[in-house]
Amino acid sequence: MVARGQKRKLHREDGGGGSARESQLQSVLDISMDKFLRDQALVEPCLLRSVLINNTLRQVQSEVRAQVESLSPVKIPTKLKPEPDFTQLSPPAEHNASLSSPNAENTEDDFMVWTSEEDFSLSSAISAILKDLDAVIDAGQGPCASQRAPLRSVENLTPCPLRTERTSAVASFAKTELMCPVRPQDAALDKLLLDIDTSVFEPELNLLQGFSVTADDLVKYLPSLSKSPSASSSSSLVSNGQAMWEIQEIEHVMDILMRTYPQS
Amino acid sequence: MMAGAGGGNDFQWCFSQVKGAVDEDVAEADIISTVEFNYSGELLATGDKGGRVVIFQREQESKNRLLSRGEYNVYSTFQSHEPEFDYLKSLEIEEKINKIRWLPQQNAAHFLLSANDKTIKLWKISERDKRADGYNLKDEDGRLRDPFRITTLRVPVLMPMDLMVEASPRRIFANAHTYHINSISVNSDYETYLSADDLRINLWHLEITDRSFNIVDIKPANMEELTEVITAAECHPHQCNVFVYSSSKGTIRLCDMRAAALCDRHSKFFEEPEDPSSRSFFSEIISSISDVKFSHSGRYMMTRDYLSVKVWDLNMENRPVETYQVHEYLRSKLCSLYENDCIFDKFECCWNGSDSAIMTGSYNNFFRMFDRNTRRDITLEASRENSKPRAILKPRKVCTGGKRKKDEISVDSLDFNKKILHTAWHPKENVIAVAATNNLYIFQDKMN
Repeated sequence: MVARGQKRKLHREDGGGGSARESQLQSVLDISMDKFLRDQALVEPCLLRSVLINNTLRQVQSEVRAQVESLSPVKIPTKLKPEPDFTQLSPPAEHNASLSSPNAENTEDDFMVWTSEEDFSLSSAISAILKDLDAVIDAGQGPCASQRAPLRSVENLTPCPLRTERTSAVASFAKTELMCPVRPQDAALDKLLLDIDTSVFEPELNLLQGFSVTADDLVKYLPSLSKSPSASSSSSLVSNGQAMWEIQEIEHVMDILMRTYPQS
Repeated sequence: MMAGAGGGNDFQWCFSQVKGAVDEDVAEADIISTVEFNYSGELLATGDKGGRVVIFQREQESKNRLLSRGEYNVYSTFQSHEPEFDYLKSLEIEEKINKIRWLPQQNAAHFLLSANDKTIKLWKISERDKRADGYNLKDEDGRLRDPFRITTLRVPVLMPMDLMVEASPRRIFANAHTYHINSISVNSDYETYLSADDLRINLWHLEITDRSFNIVDIKPANMEELTEVITAAECHPHQCNVFVYSSSKGTIRLCDMRAAALCDRHSKFFEEPEDPSSRSFFSEIISSISDVKFSHSGRYMMTRDYLSVKVWDLNMENRPVETYQVHEYLRSKLCSLYENDCIFDKFECCWNGSDSAIMTGSYNNFFRMFDRNTRRDITLEASRENSKPRAILKPRKVCTGGKRKKDEISVDSLDFNKKILHTAWHPKENVIAVAATNNLYIFQDKMN
């Protein structure tokens, strides 16, 4: 068990300036998102403005990631723990070690001790930020959307840029390096199906070309699709057995969709 | 150059003239979008959002009025650009004039280039003060005469007439820019000029409209990777092979057209290292350069970013030689300015004729001048309240905190809708033109 004093000291270092920084982070994110979405609605947003707003969003993104990573050596509430890396099915080694270690029980206790009021506010701020960032993904966030938006009629031949954005957002999930917060599983699945529904089966766009992910890949990108609610608390730990089940589930879903919406 | 600054005489700025409507409700089309003196300073051109160009000419200095210089009066007004619709992209192309640049005068006529987002036009402004009288084949009112009725021949005679100033488009340079044109610059060879948009710079010959050379292209193969755009470009005043362009990341690249046909690789790269202590979410946005101008000497260049003006020695790339804070008190307000979009305002800057002073605009109709020799600076205001003829402008001061002194204005009281983005300095004299929304103010030094 780590001495209490040390942990509190660590927290204190983050405490004072941290909350001001947090609130500014939240403000910048909110404002940037608002501008980004407004610009999306324009036929031809200003390229300079779009680039600057996107770069700011990226900065916010990396700041949030840095904050979360700085908290990761210390236990954080598992329900708020982001997915650091979607490209591997097996959990990162450190998580394995920490949860399967004999000290697992103790670290859990430590977490409960460590979690004070300020910690919750910090965690909830981070969680809110991550939720917003997640909304960015769903809206077709960042460079793929905004860079195309002002140019879409020139640079891209696709008539429906929104759908292009979604496809690329889903297909290039790994590239965006965003952490997806763990969400209620049903809602996540619904959202994914919605994306598949609208974007994949647009015949003239040939989006399947960009959406050529296998079920294996999908599982990597998605948060855990396990039905059991308890599984959500250990989202980073998707066992191989569970993954297989999920792959079959997704394949089944895709089969249904393919039959329902045959490609013309 | 500054009020109270060096030299023998005490130097002060006075109000001279104001042009434009007095109405509180400003028509969008009347908002001035560019101001430029010609090479002699005799002519002053403005462009507005409605696509119009208004040229003012300085009247001859009257011997009777020793205390003031000649006034600028309207010389010519014409519609330079009209709104267009791009049917292919379903986009409306604004008629707003982004830039006007004069060509050096080579004959009796004056030539200028005016650019909106997509098209550049070469205009010839010429005077006509004579007309031919006594044609054989037509009457005085223009009706054709019956040839069989002509019994005598006469030679037409040139008769004086009221001065008429005509503006005619001589060249139209179109279809060369996918993105919005932000700069045009006439080359010192007086044969070519460059035009820059967000991602590309083209070189034109003034005589040839159906093609241009692309000399800079920073468009990435994958637009998702775009993180930087071109914000301004200018030709060197003496070396016709050299030009610079600035970026949204606060960098300036100097290119030599002799090195390669495509100047994607710069010859010099100017960037000031960032101060880590002042880093914020807005660091990049406020570092974006909104204007770049060579000094008349060609040895220096000046860049304007959101909070400061920097003077660079072309021989030193790693940092500017001078930095002037325009409105540092806004640094703590950046989040609000980001929210209300003011942080994206593009302020211009200009040199005086001798390169000893620089000027740029700010908010609340304030504009700032910096004397490079004495390092003194002054803040003045363009407002109708100080618009008595030859009234001396009082320096203004912004109170940043604590007790506000009399005549000071607090940061929170600044009107961010009153922004001075465009200013121009007469090439030879201490006469300045300041565009405040839809009004053009002309100030001059007080002649003692």
